Amino acid sequence: MIYITPLQQDVLTEIFNIGIGRAANSLSLMAMDEVGLTVPSIKFTTRKKAAGILVTTAGEVVCSVMQRLEGTFNADAILIFPQANSLEIVKLMVGDTTVQDLSELELEALCEIGNIILNACIGTLTNILGGEFNISLPSTKIDTCWAILELERRSHDEVVMLLYIDFIMETRKIHGHLAILQDIVSIPIFAKKIEDYLSTVKH
Amino acid sequence: MSDLNTILIIDDSSLSRMLIRRMVLSKFPNCSVIEASNGDEALNVAVPAAPDLITIDINMPGMSSFDAARLLREKYPSAKMAVITANIQNTVRQKIQSLGILFLAVIEKPLTENNMQKIFDAC
Repeated sequence: MIYITPLQQDVLTEIFNIGIGRAANSLSLMAMDEVGLTVPSIKFTTRKKAAGILVTTAGEVVCSVMQRLEGTFNADAILIFPQANSLEIVKLMVGDTTVQDLSELELEALCEIGNIILNACIGTLTNILGGEFNISLPSTKIDTCWAILELERRSHDEVVMLLYIDFIMETRKIHGHLAILQDIVSIPIFAKKIEDYLSTVKH
Repeated sequence: MSDLNTILIIDDSSLSRMLIRRMVLSKFPNCSVIEASNGDEALNVAVPAAPDLITIDINMPGMSSFDAARLLREKYPSAKMAVITANIQNTVRQKIQSLGILFLAVIEKPLTENNMQKIFDAC
């Protein structure tokens, strides 16, 4: 089934690319390290398969930061990285110097990193496409991808649009995914916003 | 600013190519616009004449944009080149500088008329 046209997909991945580019710039300034980025991918798949794409090992516990976008269309923006990287992320925020119990800062630092990255993406998307939105505060969760994507209370076979990119910070060996997950019911409205934007580009 | 006869636009996004093409043609209606979606394609695409201007994105599938830029410089030594990218990290800018290629500009996406004009002015 075709949900959005190839050109609309291209527009969407390019807007995402611009957003992640800004986020990567902020991250690289904080970490004094280059953030390597893959080319963004877009998939229409079930929630269950989306969870499988975002982790390499089934049942693996990961750290996540999520912000929900509600309004003209709804979407979840999620930052995911392996739990083993979480303390490295904290060090990235506070420096490698002496903090007695880094783990105390863990959730707060993750939340702030997520806030910077996710807002760059969400902000770019909403600025370019337009519309009225409420953006939730970032929430952190350390759990399996299964739980993060709420598979325990939502249909596994529900089709979603998954837009994602992988990033890596070589020096600190931090890698992760940034994903935007959208319920299928929002897609026609989303496609209309993309089409409206395209009409301004073409003329 | 001199006249543009041929431009080669390299970007994996058809949206970005569409934007650049529109801005070029509104300024230079007779310009031949050649498009490529990655570095390999750019090196092999048929061009009616050597391009006066090449715009290149960073972070495309296939060959790295840095390698593509170097090879394009060898293939089209007189072409002026500009980078139009979303990846604006300092380290990326440093890599661009270390290529030893004089770029007219490194422009951040989303591309605006003003930024495109900067490239035209530098031509």
